[in-house]
Amino acid sequence: MGKLTIAGRTFDSRLLVGTGKFSSPQVMAKALAASGAEIVTVALRRVDIDNPADDTLREIDQDRFLLLPNTSGARTAEEAIRLARLARAATGIEWLKLEVTPDPYYLLPCPVETLKAAEILVKEGFVVLPYINADPILAKRLQDVGTATVMPLGSPIGSNQGLKTRASLEIIIEQSTVPVVVDAGLGLPSHVAEAMEIGADAVLVNTAIATAGDPVEMAVAFKLAVEAGRKACVAGPRAPQRTAEASSPLTGFLRE
Amino acid sequence: MKSLKVNGVERRFDPDEMPGTLSALLDALGVGANAVVAEVDGRIVRRDEFHRTELQDGQQIELIKLMGGG
Repeated sequence: MGKLTIAGRTFDSRLLVGTGKFSSPQVMAKALAASGAEIVTVALRRVDIDNPADDTLREIDQDRFLLLPNTSGARTAEEAIRLARLARAATGIEWLKLEVTPDPYYLLPCPVETLKAAEILVKEGFVVLPYINADPILAKRLQDVGTATVMPLGSPIGSNQGLKTRASLEIIIEQSTVPVVVDAGLGLPSHVAEAMEIGADAVLVNTAIATAGDPVEMAVAFKLAVEAGRKACVAGPRAPQRTAEASSPLTGFLRE
Repeated sequence: MKSLKVNGVERRFDPDEMPGTLSALLDALGVGANAVVAEVDGRIVRRDEFHRTELQDGQQIELIKLMGGG
């Protein structure tokens, strides 16, 4: 089916999974394993000094999964760069999901601050995977400053609305020379299948798996949907048309 | 009294009880295993440098962990 290559590193799985919102570290570990994902996102936060017992990350086998720290919570380029440097110092990992979301209601990414931060972080040697709105011009600008991917959203983070940005995603996919990872708002396996069918290189899912009734089964469902969508894309789907086209022969009918 | 501002909260210490290093501060707060990186007055300190990072009265310290996120 072809491997996913990001910044010279290859992956069998085209499903990236976030580690937030799981009911327990044990459920998270099982869901990650079931998803087949090889890249998992993590966040940086202040230690809660009054309640230090938080061992979520101990359940992640770092020999198996590449940790992708994010800059969630950053509202400006400056805040994102600070988090990026801390993440690298903490993990030794230069891969970074860059996200700058000044608006807490829709959590939409700021294009200006994201581009500004990406430019600096690429120069500092980070492998930058920027979370962006589905803006083809911004995607091009980010690619030009050297980001490893672009990660356009399907719909707002955690909203489960699916591919509301499909027309713009298609333009990004058509024009991009770096992998396109559709991120955010993918609430159902059918949403990720659709993203892969239109040619996305990968998808990132968190909420839909972590908050499902059975996160492990849902992880499997997303894994299969990514594979199905990818296979369909490679197989060459036919375009829709307005009128019918008979599947059965139009000859030899049992009538006069 | 001496003080350190840790994760935005002022903490006061008797002069002879103030933790001398970042490692000692983590022990005093009981959060040893959680902090994976720190900032002391905005300067990043890696975990393997905690034991030799000396603290001074009035410093601002951020103790940071990795946690689940999307």
